Amino acid sequence: MSYENVIELRDLQRYYQMGAETVKALDGVDLEIKRGEYLSIVGPSGSGKTTLFNLVGGLDKPTKGSVFIDGVDISQLDAYELAWLRCRKIGYIFQSFNLIQVLTALENVSLPTVFAGTPHDEGLKKAEKLLEQVGLGERLHHRPTELSAGQQQRVAIARALANDPAIILADEPTGNLDLNTGMEIIDLLHGLNKMRGLTLVAATHDLKMIKASDRIVWMRDGVVEKVERG
Amino acid sequence: MNEEAPMRVQFTLMDAVRLGHEYIRRRLDRSLINIASIALGLSFYTTMVISDLLYSTSARLGGGQVAVESYQYWLVAVALVVSIVGITNAMLIAVYERYREIGTMKCLGALDKHIVLLFLVESFYQGLLGGLIGFVLGLASAVVITGFAAGFDIVLYAPKLSLVSIFVGSVSLATALSMVATLYPAWRASQLNPVEALRYEL
Repeated sequence: MSYENVIELRDLQRYYQMGAETVKALDGVDLEIKRGEYLSIVGPSGSGKTTLFNLVGGLDKPTKGSVFIDGVDISQLDAYELAWLRCRKIGYIFQSFNLIQVLTALENVSLPTVFAGTPHDEGLKKAEKLLEQVGLGERLHHRPTELSAGQQQRVAIARALANDPAIILADEPTGNLDLNTGMEIIDLLHGLNKMRGLTLVAATHDLKMIKASDRIVWMRDGVVEKVERG
Repeated sequence: MNEEAPMRVQFTLMDAVRLGHEYIRRRLDRSLINIASIALGLSFYTTMVISDLLYSTSARLGGGQVAVESYQYWLVAVALVVSIVGITNAMLIAVYERYREIGTMKCLGALDKHIVLLFLVESFYQGLLGGLIGFVLGLASAVVITGFAAGFDIVLYAPKLSLVSIFVGSVSLATALSMVATLYPAWRASQLNPVEALRYEL
């Protein structure tokens, strides 16, 4: 089964209780994201970008409303199914890379294949191929501390691709990178989106990332302010 | 995508062992604290048990009637409790250190029980190593202590089977205590909300 809209958000709400006050981080978001689309989510900090990212990634539960991934309402999934979804369907890229510090680049990239049940050798081979694709074929056995910020983000991208997910979620992927390195990462992500047909959803401030995207969702105070074609 | 494949993530004991091994090897300093803690507590225990064995061997051979006093066993119990508390404390710090890593693992598909397994494998290793070191230290000090009272050759007359069973018993005790001490930190780690864990700045 393959739905044209790989992600659908229906009246998505997420409230936080801060003492006596209720903070409406998301206050009713409806959105459809097509397979293979490159979508940027833009807005000032506190506008709900990260909350949206977490809800779509199955890391957080909505207060009200639903997130559909491939037609499945993910709030109906149990812990096992949710873990499987995170493992196989979604690849995460973070602003601060979040690599496992004690593991080498190769081991970091092969880690998701462990959870997917891929045999050890096969997972390592796959990881090696992915690292070559992101231009780190010479850095397989380096640990994160021995890599530059841009290289670390490349490792994180390779890791996100390890189980051939349908969706890549990127939260400010260029936020910790300098201009040129950021540009390289954007090119890499854009290339993956076009060549592999991956759906790419990126929360970002970066104008260059916004320019490269198919569609731009502007958020403010927990609601979608406007949607623009890229 | 293969729709027939079960929607289940996997993480076998072998995977946990492989990963736990790397954690210990590359964060040896922290592991050493736990290993030292368990080794010290256990060496005290084995000193007492082996001394007891050697004294009774000596008595059997017609030597003087020296015995380990029962209050000394109380001290052993206290020492073991102290080492458990020390390990729990060190493992809790390890959990805080790895907040983001645990959050990341959950993003990659780890279940709560996988996180628990990972910490338990680590504590198993630490307990085993601490137990082995502790036994050697305990044996040495028991021989020295009883040696002055009953002669150093007494160890040669001690029943070998009893020594072996003390060895197995002490190492198992060390491993079990280390794992018990890690249960609470491991459970805490597994309950982490990935969203909060990823936002955490150390």
